[in-house]
Amino acid sequence: MLCELKERERAGIINPIFTCQPCGAQFASIGIKDCIGIVHGGQGCVMFVRLLISQHLKESFEIASSSVHESGAVFGACGRVEEAVDVLLMRYPDVKVVPIISTCLTEVIGDDIEGVARKLNEGLLAEKYPGREVHLIPIHTPSFVGSMISGYDIAVRDFVKYFAKKTEPNGKLNLITGWVNPGDVTALKHLLREMDIDATVLFEIESFDSPVMPDGNHVSHGSTTIEDLTGTANAQATLALNRYEGGKAAEYLATEFDIPTLVGPTPIGIRNTDAFLKNLKTLTGKPIPQSLVRERGQALDALTDLTHMFFADKRVAIYGAPDLAISLAEFCLDLEMKPKLLLLGDDNSGYQHDPRIKALQQNVGHEMEIVTNADFWELEDRIKNKGLELDLILGHSKGRFISIDYNIPMVRVGFPTYDRAGLHRHPVVGYAGATWLAEQMANTLFADMEHKHNKEWILNVW
Amino acid sequence: MPYHEFKCSTCIPERKNHAVIKGPGEDLTMALPAGYLSTIPGTISERGCAYCGAKHVIGSPMKDVIHLSHGPVGCTYDTWQTKRYISDNDNFQLKYTFASDMKEKHVVFGAEKLLKSNIIEAFKAFPNIKRMTIYQTCASALIGDDLNAIAQEVMDEMPEVDIFVCNSPGFAGPSQSGGHHKINIAWINQKVGTIEPKITGDYVINYVGEYNIQGDQEVMCDFFKRMGIQVLSTFTGNGSYDDLRAMHKAQLNVLECARSAEYICNELRVRYGIPRLDIDGFGFEPLANSLRKVGLFFGIEDRAEAIIAEETARWKPELDWYKERLKGKKVCLWPGGSKLWHWAHVIHDEMGLDVVSVYTKFGHQGDMEKGISRCEEGALAIDDPNELEGLEAMEMLKPDIILTGKRPGEVAKKIRVPYLNAHAYHNGPWKGWEGWVRFARDIYNAIYSPIHKLTLLDIAADEIATDTTFETQVMLSDAALSEETRNAADLRQFTGQFDGLKSLRGKTYPEFEAKTAGAA
Repeated sequence: MLCELKERERAGIINPIFTCQPCGAQFASIGIKDCIGIVHGGQGCVMFVRLLISQHLKESFEIASSSVHESGAVFGACGRVEEAVDVLLMRYPDVKVVPIISTCLTEVIGDDIEGVARKLNEGLLAEKYPGREVHLIPIHTPSFVGSMISGYDIAVRDFVKYFAKKTEPNGKLNLITGWVNPGDVTALKHLLREMDIDATVLFEIESFDSPVMPDGNHVSHGSTTIEDLTGTANAQATLALNRYEGGKAAEYLATEFDIPTLVGPTPIGIRNTDAFLKNLKTLTGKPIPQSLVRERGQALDALTDLTHMFFADKRVAIYGAPDLAISLAEFCLDLEMKPKLLLLGDDNSGYQHDPRIKALQQNVGHEMEIVTNADFWELEDRIKNKGLELDLILGHSKGRFISIDYNIPMVRVGFPTYDRAGLHRHPVVGYAGATWLAEQMANTLFADMEHKHNKEWILNVW
Repeated sequence: MPYHEFKCSTCIPERKNHAVIKGPGEDLTMALPAGYLSTIPGTISERGCAYCGAKHVIGSPMKDVIHLSHGPVGCTYDTWQTKRYISDNDNFQLKYTFASDMKEKHVVFGAEKLLKSNIIEAFKAFPNIKRMTIYQTCASALIGDDLNAIAQEVMDEMPEVDIFVCNSPGFAGPSQSGGHHKINIAWINQKVGTIEPKITGDYVINYVGEYNIQGDQEVMCDFFKRMGIQVLSTFTGNGSYDDLRAMHKAQLNVLECARSAEYICNELRVRYGIPRLDIDGFGFEPLANSLRKVGLFFGIEDRAEAIIAEETARWKPELDWYKERLKGKKVCLWPGGSKLWHWAHVIHDEMGLDVVSVYTKFGHQGDMEKGISRCEEGALAIDDPNELEGLEAMEMLKPDIILTGKRPGEVAKKIRVPYLNAHAYHNGPWKGWEGWVRFARDIYNAIYSPIHKLTLLDIAADEIATDTTFETQVMLSDAALSEETRNAADLRQFTGQFDGLKSLRGKTYPEFEAKTAGAA
């Protein structure tokens, strides 16, 4: 096989591709309306994650800390959660959902966050806040397990598990998006509307492309409601776009409530979007309308202008969230490009059984490596010391210096993309996303050709 | 006591001690908020942790060092590429960060072996870097790994390398400030005095508490070098590990950020008898006085005066252009720690701004003392502010601009208050004479932004002017100015370069005649 799957062999990380689990849980939490999470640990676990997400979205939002200091680390810090819940509820009268997100610190000392939630439910909430709807949801995200990706996956599952309640069928589709951008949610809702499908979108984060308003609307919130989450048990079907971000929630709903469920593919590229529509059709019985045939045609029209003339044989390295990185590789192959290196930044043992990775291993006709548990050194070392030649890098902003220092053009995609303006507004999913991505890649290659005087005159007559 | 109680915080009475309004005729004893106390959980405080105070604020600006955090990957990732502490060695410390990648099995069985493999691998990946700092994190502190022992073991096996260990887990204190203290003390205990430097001049200083944000350190060192002063080391921006091991051989510690680095100065005084001189690199007058003080210490006041005269003549007309246009504008000065007192008086005196509020996330009462004494009457001082209090303060004070961090800046944007990044700067460096004009220009551009003005218009309710097709900052700022000021021939806008550091790197300096025989 020309495509090899391997794991990072070094013990340590040189420039990480992912951060740890609590970040994923925090990102999930901001998608819920009237929700402020409490991260149970040191303050940096919140302060930096808020900064990171806020750099990406260019927005602010609220997440609290239980502010564990020395005494808590030594004697146990459950009392800090109790205090945090009370303070938060007193000052934020609209808050109803309070995930209690653990960290390495509080997992190592063994704080019983389920116990705290129980104690608060029976004590503080019953006595001081009777009649107020408050949901305390313990979420275990030790930083020494998995990554931000699994943290997101766990949090989505735990939110669904907490709220989902079987009553009457609501005829809706659960659409679990995974870790996407506001622009992606808009694009997905557009496709659902064209298909005439009523869906519960987890999570509704479109509102993070939020305006500056004359009345000074000051804080961005997600808009998925408690009712949305409760109703997931009554849906006619579940479609999770990503296996590793939301797959666990889909599996829970399937097992617990016997809901017909499909997981994947991530609708990146034409082919994956086709499959996404097919899955929608399968789950809901709704036909694919002519409007989407036309939309697809527009995308194909745009891509045809680019493929063999510009993309053919271009060597690409891709890194980032697994579902995103894999689908980008698939899309690149359809565009006649050669993904040479795929870096997945954590040690999820599921990767080796992933049918998409198996398909790459079996069918890719050029030399390609897929590295799991990877860091950025897996990329840089190959370029610097092992002769890897690349025409393009696809990935998030944390890899920017590889592009800069080795003069390889790069298209920012994924999370975070703080070093380019406005990317969170643009979808990479759906037909529109395929066009946007391909044209970003093309324009980036064009600028690079011009900058390096590398057959830049080709574009005179295109 | 003029404590200020926020409406949003009446339910947490202890917060009342954390905010004061400086009333007329009141002295500090009547107007000092509590500071550096445990954070109240759930307030949505803006504080970070002691790990980031040690690693991210002070450790990482050291430029020729592998910065390895012993713990799960998050601490490393989260404190990577979120600050602008550049260096003149192609920013190695900005580009590369290392994590030992502690997993569950290590938490159970220990991670010392893992750490050792990490250290050896990292040196192998970067054969030209021979220095390393290892940072403890919450996880490695709690499982009790002995970082010092592993570091020593590697140093014994690899004599060409040197490793510094910083034990400052995230929970070690109420804020990042705990980490500042820990790394200061760890450095002097472990590393100072382990190298003997080459002394090349008569006047030798350590420049301490300076992190080279957007090039501040390089701007300041230019002045020192022009005075014929040898800067033995900088703690820590653009600083070299081995230079910092030789701090004990300086004649004077010139201290910029006393909040984060006074500890090491105090220890250097106690252990090596090196005096500490606090300076301000921000603002014409404070900077001039700072150079004068350094000059006075060494008996080379004339060299300081020459620089002051030259720089003032070059940049004063530009600063004053902005001052005329910033007079009376209200500013919330909301940085992390020391900038509240570095800036409080001088942005008033030299730019004409009125400081209506100061806050500090991790400062101590000493910082508030300095800040409050330097800001105007009526100013609201807040210790360890939180999200709701910040909003309430902005609504109450209606500032024209706020100087704070990136994420709180997004909050300000939504309530239509212009913001500048007080930690990383918009278009710095902001130290030095030119830097101070850059700062004034950034403030001016933010306040008189035509787009900002458009955010104040409600197209559904207000009259829309159809005869104005564009506006410039000057159209907005100069409308209310007198003809004379508007056309003043001796004032001008900023004329510096986008990247002023290019002309500093590789610059040569005049040689001064040696004071004593034998000194080169």
